[in-house]
Amino acid sequence: MLSSILIWLLLAWSALGLMYFLYRACARVPRHDPKNLVHYLHPVDWDLLESLLDPAADFELRWRLSPREFREEQRCRMRLFRELLRRMSHNSAVLAEFDNALFGKDDFTPGPGSKVEEAAIKVRLYCTAARIKLRVWLSLPDTLRAVPMPDLARLRMAADLDGPKVYEELKAAAVEAFADLQPAELDALTRNL
Amino acid sequence: MGALLWYIPAPLLLLLVGVLVRRGAYRTFPFFFTYVAFGAAADVTRFLTQGHHSLYFWIYWLTDAGYALLGALAMYELLRKVLRGFSHIWWTHLIFPAVVTVGLSIWRMHVVPPQLQGPLRLWIVTGEIAVRIVQVFIFAGLVTFIGFFGFRWRQYPLGIAAGFGVYSTVALLTTIKFSDFGTRFRFLWDATSVVAYSFAVLIWIGFFFVPEKEEPPPNPETLAFALGTLNQYLDRLRRMR
Repeated sequence: MLSSILIWLLLAWSALGLMYFLYRACARVPRHDPKNLVHYLHPVDWDLLESLLDPAADFELRWRLSPREFREEQRCRMRLFRELLRRMSHNSAVLAEFDNALFGKDDFTPGPGSKVEEAAIKVRLYCTAARIKLRVWLSLPDTLRAVPMPDLARLRMAADLDGPKVYEELKAAAVEAFADLQPAELDALTRNL
Repeated sequence: MGALLWYIPAPLLLLLVGVLVRRGAYRTFPFFFTYVAFGAAADVTRFLTQGHHSLYFWIYWLTDAGYALLGALAMYELLRKVLRGFSHIWWTHLIFPAVVTVGLSIWRMHVVPPQLQGPLRLWIVTGEIAVRIVQVFIFAGLVTFIGFFGFRWRQYPLGIAAGFGVYSTVALLTTIKFSDFGTRFRFLWDATSVVAYSFAVLIWIGFFFVPEKEEPPPNPETLAFALGTLNQYLDRLRRMR
């Protein structure tokens, strides 16, 4: 009985997947002008990111603040980090889409198409895993004092990926892929990532 | 009519072998190429031996086992291709064994048809259906993964998975119905399986018919300039820290 239900669920999932696949395979790749790329990006404050993931910052806050104040401060920092993750994830999706639109055309590839795409997927995987952890931490009620507040520095690694490192890889891949942009545009691209 | 129906995919498979050879897919997808070449050879051998019942019996069951084994290896290969950028992450190596375990577990929970006599045929059928479950699982998972992470849709692994996905979905569906309705469903089961398999082969032909794209190397001068700009920013950031 259980196996029948599982097989039917699997078949329904596959049928839906097939419909979505046919729709995406037939749909044209959206066309983009590389000059507009910068306008789609949400700047990520690198200093802020590094300071949030700094173990010394966690330690200093624990040492300086009372447990109650630390909980409040840490929740604020978590929300801030969540916003940075949202931006990183958004930027990776934008870069992958532009890379696909500009260089993918209608050709086929033997696997993930380019460095940008591979780096973008790593960033999205990291962001998704880190956001799930953050969601769990933030969903714990504030009154639950028995659970110790985790260090934000632990989120440097998620899904076995080093977040800042994979984002750096994405930046380097994007600079390489969009190297044909005008110097001013390339400058803006680097600043906005 | 029934006998002829079984051999419709054979010319399509031969055409696919030609397309794969032209695209050099034996280098990029060796297991999938072997699967297709084996399929074409198996169909031709079955056709030639259908008059000799004893020989046909053995060839049918041995080629069925070969289909299952090569089908599983082809799925492993395409999963490795899609996840090639993640090979340093330990848990990505567990995805395929986990999917195979789930596939086998689901099918072992299911009632095994009592008409099958002999442990060898029972194992072949069980393995074959488990591989179908694995193929459906990997196809559905890949579509979800690619949709969620914004992968490029026009890539060969997804085309291979789609072909297997279509065929295995229909094959599983008809197998479940076959076990419900019994032998009355025989002709419809044969017909839908052959049509689905032909459709899968057409998907593969359609995908591999389009040439593979080589990424053009960037202009060295502009690349050097771009990397210089990036390094300047990184230097500034390091100094600010």
